[in-house]
Amino acid sequence: MSRVALTHVSKLLYFFCIVLSFFLLYIDVNYKSFEKAKNLYKSFTISSSYILKRVTIDPFYYVYEISKEKSKLIEENKQLKQELDNSFIKNFLISKDSNFFVDDSTIKKFLNLNHIKKPFHLAKMNFFDVEKYLCCSQHRMFIKIIGNPDIDFIGSTVINDQGIVGQIIYDKSTTEVLLLTDVASVIPIVSGNHFCNARGSGRPGVISCTYSKLIWPDSIEIGQDFYSSGIGGIYPSKILIGNVSNINASDTSNIVFDLNLVANPLHGNFLGVVEP
Amino acid sequence: MSNISTAKLLILIYIANLIEGFIAPLLVKAYINIPITFLIFSFAIYKSRFNTNAFYAFLFGLCVDFISDSPIGMNAALFLMMAYVVNSYANTFKLFSSIQICLFFSGSSVFYIGFSHLFINLENFSYLILFISFVINTFLFLIVSMLRFYFPFSRLN
Repeated sequence: MSRVALTHVSKLLYFFCIVLSFFLLYIDVNYKSFEKAKNLYKSFTISSSYILKRVTIDPFYYVYEISKEKSKLIEENKQLKQELDNSFIKNFLISKDSNFFVDDSTIKKFLNLNHIKKPFHLAKMNFFDVEKYLCCSQHRMFIKIIGNPDIDFIGSTVINDQGIVGQIIYDKSTTEVLLLTDVASVIPIVSGNHFCNARGSGRPGVISCTYSKLIWPDSIEIGQDFYSSGIGGIYPSKILIGNVSNINASDTSNIVFDLNLVANPLHGNFLGVVEP
Repeated sequence: MSNISTAKLLILIYIANLIEGFIAPLLVKAYINIPITFLIFSFAIYKSRFNTNAFYAFLFGLCVDFISDSPIGMNAALFLMMAYVVNSYANTFKLFSSIQICLFFSGSSVFYIGFSHLFINLENFSYLILFISFVINTFLFLIVSMLRFYFPFSRLN
């Protein structure tokens, strides 16, 4: 089917539209009259493409990123765990003997709390016969003072982060500590007006004290706290030693009571030795 | 594509403009310019059974001006001129061979490129672009026109 030829009116309309187009082109090129409309269209395009992207692509991308991130984290975690295991294996022997990981902050904290200004040295437990400690009356511990300082430590107080453990009685090739619970150990203690020399009971964590009611008529109560008196100059004063756990009247005038010690020598491997 | 609806043609031109926006920066490195939007509109009015109204071409041209960020009126004028020529010689084209039609469209596209460069890219106006674009467009249209011999469905349509 052939098309109808253009009429004069159509041609005139074409001519008019072409002139109008050129007029628009002229004013746009010379005066930038349509910039606002163009910018409006551009902003609409950018906004709609942004929203469209947020609605359609971004959720999938987000899910993909999360899955990727999760798998990446798992992989990293595995790798770190493996590295840690390798490091542990490599440093196992070293860490057992090394003083590199020693932390003296707890000992320092204890000394500061009890206002002990004397310098101290960190020591590591070398040997401790636990079986003997639990069964027998001789309670000794062998320690190694870190740094090997050239000081005679005999008579020095040995502490851990809980309290006084004992005193050094031998310091030559090795350092021997007499624990408070050893039957040979004596520590002067005080509570209020009660002064007493507490001796080791030979039982773990317990020391005993005997006093005469004729000298100290005041009664002792279960749970009463006793502190070191500092008499004798071996142990520092005003440090909590323990509390009364048991009271026995040996005869009409003498009273024997037991104290549960607050410091357990088995609490940790590291101890503090206060300079004499 | 005969008597394609206005909405469909508008969407088609919009998509063509997007594609043109993507491939034009790549092709221009090889001194090639293919005005896809203009060619699709030209082909639509060429294949139409009826004469195209001047306002129809004018409004389409304005739309393309907006979406392609061209100076307002440039595409409108070119679309109108193309529509006028195609409508005036619609019956004459039936006497032409495919090659002649391809050459006509290539010439039109080169005119479009030259005219648009006068307004958009005058400083870099290049006859090399016009010449290479003419050759490439001619080959492209020949290939497109020959496709119907190799795709039976397109012949049936």
